Amino acid sequence: MEKSLTRDPGFWIMVSIGLALMILGPILIDMFTIMQITQYVVLSVFALSLAYIWGFGGILSFGQAAFFGLGAYTFAVSSIGMGDTTVPLLLSFAVPAAFGVALGYFMFYGKLSDVYLGVVTMVVTLIFWKLANHTAGPEYSIAGVRLGGFNGIPSIPTINIPGQPDAWLDPAQLFRFFMAVLVIVYVALRILIASDFGRISIGIRENEVRASLLGYDIRRHKVIVFAIGSGIAGLSGAMWATYQSFIDPNAFSMEMSAKALIWVMAGGVGTLLGPILGVIGLQWLTLQMGMVDFLNSLVVLGAIMMVLVLALPKGLVPTFKSLAVAGWTLWRRGRGVGGRVKKVASDD
Amino acid sequence: MTDATRDDGYRILRTRGLTMRFGGVTAVDNVDFDLRDGELRCLLGPNGAGKSTFFKCLTGQLVPSEGQVLLKEQPVTGLNTHEIVNMGVGIKTQVPNVFDGITVYENVRLSARRKHTARIARDVAEATIEKCGIRHLIRREVGQLAHGQRQLVELAMVLAASPDLILLDEPAAGMTGDERDRLAQLVLEAARTAAVIVVEHDMQFIRQIARFVTVFNRGAIFREAMIDDIMRDRAVQEIYLGKQADAAA
Repeated sequence: MEKSLTRDPGFWIMVSIGLALMILGPILIDMFTIMQITQYVVLSVFALSLAYIWGFGGILSFGQAAFFGLGAYTFAVSSIGMGDTTVPLLLSFAVPAAFGVALGYFMFYGKLSDVYLGVVTMVVTLIFWKLANHTAGPEYSIAGVRLGGFNGIPSIPTINIPGQPDAWLDPAQLFRFFMAVLVIVYVALRILIASDFGRISIGIRENEVRASLLGYDIRRHKVIVFAIGSGIAGLSGAMWATYQSFIDPNAFSMEMSAKALIWVMAGGVGTLLGPILGVIGLQWLTLQMGMVDFLNSLVVLGAIMMVLVLALPKGLVPTFKSLAVAGWTLWRRGRGVGGRVKKVASDD
Repeated sequence: MTDATRDDGYRILRTRGLTMRFGGVTAVDNVDFDLRDGELRCLLGPNGAGKSTFFKCLTGQLVPSEGQVLLKEQPVTGLNTHEIVNMGVGIKTQVPNVFDGITVYENVRLSARRKHTARIARDVAEATIEKCGIRHLIRREVGQLAHGQRQLVELAMVLAASPDLILLDEPAAGMTGDERDRLAQLVLEAARTAAVIVVEHDMQFIRQIARFVTVFNRGAIFREAMIDDIMRDRAVQEIYLGKQADAAA
């Protein structure tokens, strides 16, 4: 009855593009550009974390940066401490996910409404940011790794091949590895969303009362969704830390949380492709505007955001999808083939 | 039948001294309500009589200020909605609670999936949709449907879980004559395998299905009797039925 994931051409197109870019990118594109794109890849994983919990779980979090930063610091401390990056990468998912379970437990079992959920997630982020800034003294060290306060943690190792701490990935390999992570996260989320668990999440997003009237425990469900999103945000934080080989408390900043919201909003809530396009478009724009003196990039981004919200309230991808479907229908009508306007599905 | 509430046998639903206060307003006032297994009961009463609040207390959407709800002789006061539902209760709310952004099929399947494996849930969903006469809407998004159609979708969701106790809050509102006739059939059919409580204002619909009736007024039970006696009852006519009863007679 419902279109299954394996029969959705959009899914295979996305995976193919991702794999093609992963394999061919470093061959066809110069290394400087590849390193730029690597940054987009990392932030895309971060954007997917919010795209999932917001678009497919109805949880609007203003605090994805808390998990991003937590993952980054977890990775920084554990990779310096262990000298190998494999376990730290897993920890950068597990620690934020566990924190997501704890925070989610209080928020969802406490039946916080959407507005308070936004406030709590935002405040938690601010607390982390404040806390990280106050860890300058030598007493703030974990397993001998100093947290460094507002100076952050330098010399974070590059990803190495599992079990071979000296076999570091070169920039091309790092790009391929991160692309693989992005593809895996995308595929995993699509499978999750298409599963019964995912369909129930969508039901909860659509109508919490009805979901509980059907006998589903929406609190438990939301905690799980929130924790998965937290884990993915943490993983992207670790990727960010190793990419920059440096992390400071700004990973916990409101700006990081706000950026995630903007990417998802601009690209389209309820899609996974949209937020990735949001990252690419808006980060590229920020970079371009950095080269111009007379405009403050944040002001311009804010203006773009306002225009987008007013003109395309659903975001780019859903809007273009509706336009494409309407255009296709008109074209078919024009040729006398007929056919009704079908509402497009909300996932890509 | 007039002493239906007096014998001490098994009751699928019982309330004792059920009271719900909002600030100074007592919406449900010390209600003792009994429902036998497999019984079809209609709940009447003017707007604001406390019928919907009473329903919400039964389903855990509201926690009563005082008193007890016993479901299958188990106390359920204070349990979460999903825990009560999982004891075999199906609920259609006054304003349809459906999943607007997804298809009719997926709405009903999600309900069936709670009880059944994926394969069986698919069959149950399709059969229930067929039975409710909304097969032609199966791929439509529920948010785009008319009120009466949404009511049928919600009813299909309730029936797909094959509950033992069905609570229907104004199921006929917004329905066309045909839809209402189908609804009446569905309710009578459901009442063969489950206990059913129906809150309704539509007197034509009530006449199609009602047997034993409970009349609410100002949060309390005002009368409990067979529908014909209720229709003849002057006091009931005064509080609620008024001209509607004359017109229907």
